Amino acid sequence: MAKKRINLKISSVDNREMRLGTITSWDGSASELVEASRYEARGRKKTAGKGRGDCSGCQGSDSGERKVCRLQELKMPFNQQTMCSHAIVACQLGNLTDCILVEHSPIGCSASNPRFNQGFKIGLARRGKPIQSLQVCSTNLKENDMVFGASDRLRQTIRDAHERFTPKAIFVSMSCSTAIIGEDLDSVTAEMEAEIKIPVVPVYCEGFRSKHWSTGFDASQHGVVRQIVNKKPKKQNDLINIVNLWGTDYFTPMLKPLGLRVNYLIDMASFDEMRQASEAAATAAFCHTLGSYMATALEEHYGVPQIDAPQPFGLAGTDDWLRAVAKTVGKGDMIEEHIESEHRRIAPKLAELRKKLSGVKGFVSTGSSYAHAMISVIRDLGVTVDGSIVFHHDPVYDAGHENQDTLGHLVKHTGEVKNFTVSQTQPFQFIGLLRRVNPDFIIIRHNGLAPLAARLGIPSFPMGDEHFPLGYDGLIRTGEALLGIMAKKKFGEVLKRHAEIPYTDWWLSQEDQFILARHPEILDEEPDAGVTTENLVELGADGSSKISEANLRYA
Amino acid sequence: MPETLTATAPKQTNTIVHPHYGCAIGAVYSVVAIPGGVPIANCGPGCADKQYCILSSGNGYQGTIGAGGGAMPSVNIGENEVVFGGAKKLDGLVKSALRIMKGDLFVVVTGCSSELVGDDIGSVVRRYQRAGKPVVYADAAGFKGSNITGHLIVVREIIDQFVGEYRGRKKKGLVNLFFEVPYFNTNWRGDFIEMKRILDGAGFTVNVLFGPGSRGVEEWRDIPKAQFNLVVSPWVGLDTAEHLKEKYKQPYLHIPVIPVGEEATTAFIRQVVEFAGIDPAKSEAFIKQEAHYYYYFLEHFSEFFSEFWFGLPSAFTVASDSATNIAMTKFLADQMGIIPVKQIITDNPPEKYRNAISRLYEDLSEGVSAKAEFIEDGYMIEQEIKNTDFGASVPLILGSTWESDVATELKGLLVKVCTPNTEEVVLNRSYIGYRGALTLIEKVYTAAVGGGS
Repeated sequence: MAKKRINLKISSVDNREMRLGTITSWDGSASELVEASRYEARGRKKTAGKGRGDCSGCQGSDSGERKVCRLQELKMPFNQQTMCSHAIVACQLGNLTDCILVEHSPIGCSASNPRFNQGFKIGLARRGKPIQSLQVCSTNLKENDMVFGASDRLRQTIRDAHERFTPKAIFVSMSCSTAIIGEDLDSVTAEMEAEIKIPVVPVYCEGFRSKHWSTGFDASQHGVVRQIVNKKPKKQNDLINIVNLWGTDYFTPMLKPLGLRVNYLIDMASFDEMRQASEAAATAAFCHTLGSYMATALEEHYGVPQIDAPQPFGLAGTDDWLRAVAKTVGKGDMIEEHIESEHRRIAPKLAELRKKLSGVKGFVSTGSSYAHAMISVIRDLGVTVDGSIVFHHDPVYDAGHENQDTLGHLVKHTGEVKNFTVSQTQPFQFIGLLRRVNPDFIIIRHNGLAPLAARLGIPSFPMGDEHFPLGYDGLIRTGEALLGIMAKKKFGEVLKRHAEIPYTDWWLSQEDQFILARHPEILDEEPDAGVTTENLVELGADGSSKISEANLRYA
Repeated sequence: MPETLTATAPKQTNTIVHPHYGCAIGAVYSVVAIPGGVPIANCGPGCADKQYCILSSGNGYQGTIGAGGGAMPSVNIGENEVVFGGAKKLDGLVKSALRIMKGDLFVVVTGCSSELVGDDIGSVVRRYQRAGKPVVYADAAGFKGSNITGHLIVVREIIDQFVGEYRGRKKKGLVNLFFEVPYFNTNWRGDFIEMKRILDGAGFTVNVLFGPGSRGVEEWRDIPKAQFNLVVSPWVGLDTAEHLKEKYKQPYLHIPVIPVGEEATTAFIRQVVEFAGIDPAKSEAFIKQEAHYYYYFLEHFSEFFSEFWFGLPSAFTVASDSATNIAMTKFLADQMGIIPVKQIITDNPPEKYRNAISRLYEDLSEGVSAKAEFIEDGYMIEQEIKNTDFGASVPLILGSTWESDVATELKGLLVKVCTPNTEEVVLNRSYIGYRGALTLIEKVYTAAVGGGS
């Protein structure tokens, strides 16, 4: 039997760079990245049971291939703060309605909880569930605990969580410090599970574990599939899992024509909703960056098929996604008619929006596969997109299903994105990347980049409700919202006239935002030497030989 | 079975639910608060971002400036650094930060991972110091304590490594202010502005050190020249003042209660002027003018206060850090005549200061005293407030967003005075001094007349 892609026997999850060959630093065009990613070849390896999507599968007899399949990454000596996997787990497993997350760490690791509390409450309201605050429990570790070990603190906090809130399950997340001092989560959680007789689930998501925070999604999902879902599922043929975040329930109306009920995972879910994940007729996700691990785990271990399609955003994406859902649940016969009627329904409004948005230039900077979807959406609205930043890039997703190649789908259906950059919320690069394309607005998720754009006078559209642009109606919603976003340029213009940019003129004069990866030696040159035209001739990414006025505009 | 959580009886342990502070690495924001200051976060990828939440975005959506927020240089320690050490990656970061970031002072703030694996940060930074670069380092691992602990560590390291030795003359009337913790105290920007306005008005020149009124590193270099240090906080800054007393032979004046309202602020000014021995003519003129404005508003307000038919709160609780707690408690009890019924201090002051802090509550006003309780666990705080007897009054709760659940349950009024605060957008706001007191009155009674909180 082929090796399983997802190993539920062990409690920790392999990080994304191991499983998928994930990178966080790259610059080129979208089609170049499609080519370099070799999704199909990696996918074949996955489906053939070789497991990993990184280079390890190439070891041994065909080691010649190893070199070819490694995605070249541009390692920069300078980095700015980002998020970590531990925070991701907090905003997933800390946002459950009747389960508790215990954070085994010093108190600072829980400092994002106010933000996640707000998201949780808004999310509950969107889903029509009773509003409550999150009740994440910290073990609140101090210096002595680092020296003498902290397992007794963990036992205490698990008991506190159990006594205070009577949850149906408790998740325990590992932090950098507890991982370094060697806390044994597996043993303590097993011992406590026996004591309090509810599932107690270890989650390995220490911040240093992965160079990208999205490993935190995988760690959360791993825990849920491994210890929460019903191991003896009773099939529910009209139930579809949607792996998502806090989005408004737009999937229910979208899937109603197919007679499907939606089971959202994992934010705002209850224990029972997570438990029935193994009973569903299918699993899909609003974005494969988020959902691929869980969908693949449920597919391999419980026979719940996942939707082999790109994501339900933009016309082509939504069409293909609906076709795949219909096929999976045996409703393929009626779908073409439905798609056609939906296209007809939104056509007048879409035409009107396209007219208003023609000539407008947009820039997308979000998580990886969600960015692919957002570019499709705004291109369908008539917006020009020739620049985008994704915070990481997975050359393949866990299942390796060919039709899930979202970047390939984007390029195939909507064309090239000339400036396509992988950069993990790094505003010092963002300023030069924006300069290349000079957009009228940006679409963002995660924090760190929009404040810089604001100081350059560029309004941002924070896609906080990730379902907002979903499907056919989402196109219209997004177009209408964009008109409001563009109006905010007034504020941007004011700010731009008065705000200060925290970067030196030397850095702002660099044309290549990855120059420090290619030529770290320029850091050793005299401070004034960096700005000469000769240097730029020599070092410019595209070999361009002059500093245009636009390039120095923000300096 | 219900699909929501049900709470049961409390018990204090190591556990914290609903934290009211960040950890020591949050001191990166004390560096951001110094104009020209650039923090270099020597920690994991998410550490600084988490602190941004509890100190800025989750605390009145303050935002940030310069090298704060997404702009902050960070090592983003990964597996490689944990296994093989992170000094090399830090060195590359410091070197490039000096070229890329505008700044006058770079502070390497070290968190849990680097400290636990034993990186020798001093040897990395000292090479830059020897080359004349303005770089200092501070060990502020999260397990060492709260963001206040980290703030105090960073302030001390900047003084020792950057300000350095001084044997020159002192300048009469120049004062160093040690006051609230930047970003952590929700209204810190407005409060620093009001405090500087008051001390300027009284005839002093003030090194405020943080915020828009600070001259940045130039002001830090002037610290040793000051006549004295002024600590306006129950405990934060006392260690710093002791250190400066020894280092620069500078005396300090400790005023534990931040003044709120005309009477307290006027008394505050007179105490500082007397300590400094400067001519009181200027301060008395300032006091006169401020009192005139203050009572002009207070008299107007008194009409509402005395004849509003539909009930006003007569009992209150405060759950906040000690500086905010005693300041609010004193003002509401002594100046507004609201009865303090539960005073919960959330910032975990060191044991050695707790008796002195408790004593501040024993004589709040003639015939009015209260008992300070030290509780850090938000769950316990909510239980305590739930079990508080507010008598016939609508419960007035001064606290954070975490207390909104219990405020709703008690049908009380919640006025947010500390972090986290995700229900207000705070810009230039102050609840202290002359002008801030009027804003606080507005806030409390707007809540009371149904304007939300």
